[in-house]
Amino acid sequence: MTLRPSAFLFGSNQVEALAIYLAALRTGHAVFLYDAAANLPFAEQLIELYRPDWIAGPTVYLDQIKGAMDEVCHLTEYSLSGRTIVREHPVYHDLAVLLTTSGTTGSPKLVRLSYDNLQTNASSISQYLNLNDSERAITTLPFFYSYGLSVVNSHLNVRASLILNNHSVVTRDFWELFKQQEATSFAGVPYTYQMLKRMKFAQMDLPSMRYMTQAGGRLDPSLVADFANAAAGKGWRFYVMYGQTEATARISYIPSELIQSKMGSIGKAIPDGELDLDPETQELIYKGPNVMLGYAKSEEDLFQGDLLNGVLRTGDIASKDVDAFFYVKGRLKRFAKIFGLRVNLDELEQHLEQEIGSELSCIEEGERLVLYYTTAESAEAIRERMSSVFHIHHSGYRLELIDELPRTASGKKGLSPFAGA
Amino acid sequence: MNEQKLRHIFAEVLEIPESQISDELTYNSIPQWDSISHMALIAAIDDGFDTMIDTDDVIDMSSFGKAKEILAKYGVEF
Repeated sequence: MTLRPSAFLFGSNQVEALAIYLAALRTGHAVFLYDAAANLPFAEQLIELYRPDWIAGPTVYLDQIKGAMDEVCHLTEYSLSGRTIVREHPVYHDLAVLLTTSGTTGSPKLVRLSYDNLQTNASSISQYLNLNDSERAITTLPFFYSYGLSVVNSHLNVRASLILNNHSVVTRDFWELFKQQEATSFAGVPYTYQMLKRMKFAQMDLPSMRYMTQAGGRLDPSLVADFANAAAGKGWRFYVMYGQTEATARISYIPSELIQSKMGSIGKAIPDGELDLDPETQELIYKGPNVMLGYAKSEEDLFQGDLLNGVLRTGDIASKDVDAFFYVKGRLKRFAKIFGLRVNLDELEQHLEQEIGSELSCIEEGERLVLYYTTAESAEAIRERMSSVFHIHHSGYRLELIDELPRTASGKKGLSPFAGA
Repeated sequence: MNEQKLRHIFAEVLEIPESQISDELTYNSIPQWDSISHMALIAAIDDGFDTMIDTDDVIDMSSFGKAKEILAKYGVEF
């Protein structure tokens, strides 16, 4: 007996994918969203691990997925294939969406989001961005990740329009679609803004444009200033925001009129949320109805209810000013953001060390990684793994050969001599 | 001469063998040429040929052949 179905949906920003996502929510299924074009073998791993009752995706990919199922139905370029899974317990009644946390690096740990999480975060976002049904957002990020999904949900929440797009901002197709469809907004990660800077975005003629948002990592303050100035000159609104997949998407934002005076801040808590600091560690703690139910590491976790009770430890160290605006100072754990991808540095080091059979240390330097390695002949293998496993372009890191990695007194790898700050 | 130089830049940035580069090699036709490497490519071309490529040309540089056409406008001879 299938007590409550779960589904695995992958693809890109296409109307079929969006329709399947919305239909799954409407019928009360729990749906895994996965940008499978990035890594099909990993999608297969997830399917094997979590045993969804049905799988949907572009037909060309679905055909390649192992264990594809008996019943198939076609929806233009997408197909759905179903089977009956027998489970010991029902999938948790409020589980709506499951998202990966680490981009394409291949950790099968998923974030469990409830129907209430999606609804409350969409409502908060549409409130602080002041959205109404005349908005026309062009998609710049796959909706299979939390930021892209939040754009979709917050706009549908107010019956606004979406211009479904898969082109990068460096293509003519993107800007033609933008102008032709009179887009009113777009979302960008730091790398999007770096590209737009090089493309002299401030000089573009975009009469339909109203606002733009930035999230997905820290944007260099000089770029924040550039885009804040450009927006002010054009009468657009520019929002710098902060969040985590673990909080559905958004945690805080800077109101656009305060962007000049709160430079470098992650802003204040979103409507219906609260931010505070752990008095001992200064860790940023978020409380709100959009905090996930918890993680999933196996099928059994789909039966679990809410384990966090609306409280999320962000893992970021922060400070707070007199207006209750927060400033992130660093991280408790070692993650880096490279081209918008969240990279777990411990995981990366472990993987590469195993691969090359010698020691390696990785640190973040500006927006790039520096990999310190000790065996000259490993360089090629490192480059190969960085590309094939971690999908990090070689302009996102540099290799540095050293004689020996520094050690702390306890024998652990000590990174401080390199860290600089 | 300049063609070889440009081919070398493409091979280096996209991490593909020079033999794979022809005029018909287009943006997004191989996984190595995505928007991230496109911007790296523009930066490497600007460095290599001492140019400052315009936005319209950044957008239009959709193939190796097109890159040569665009660079010709900046006075690079092929």
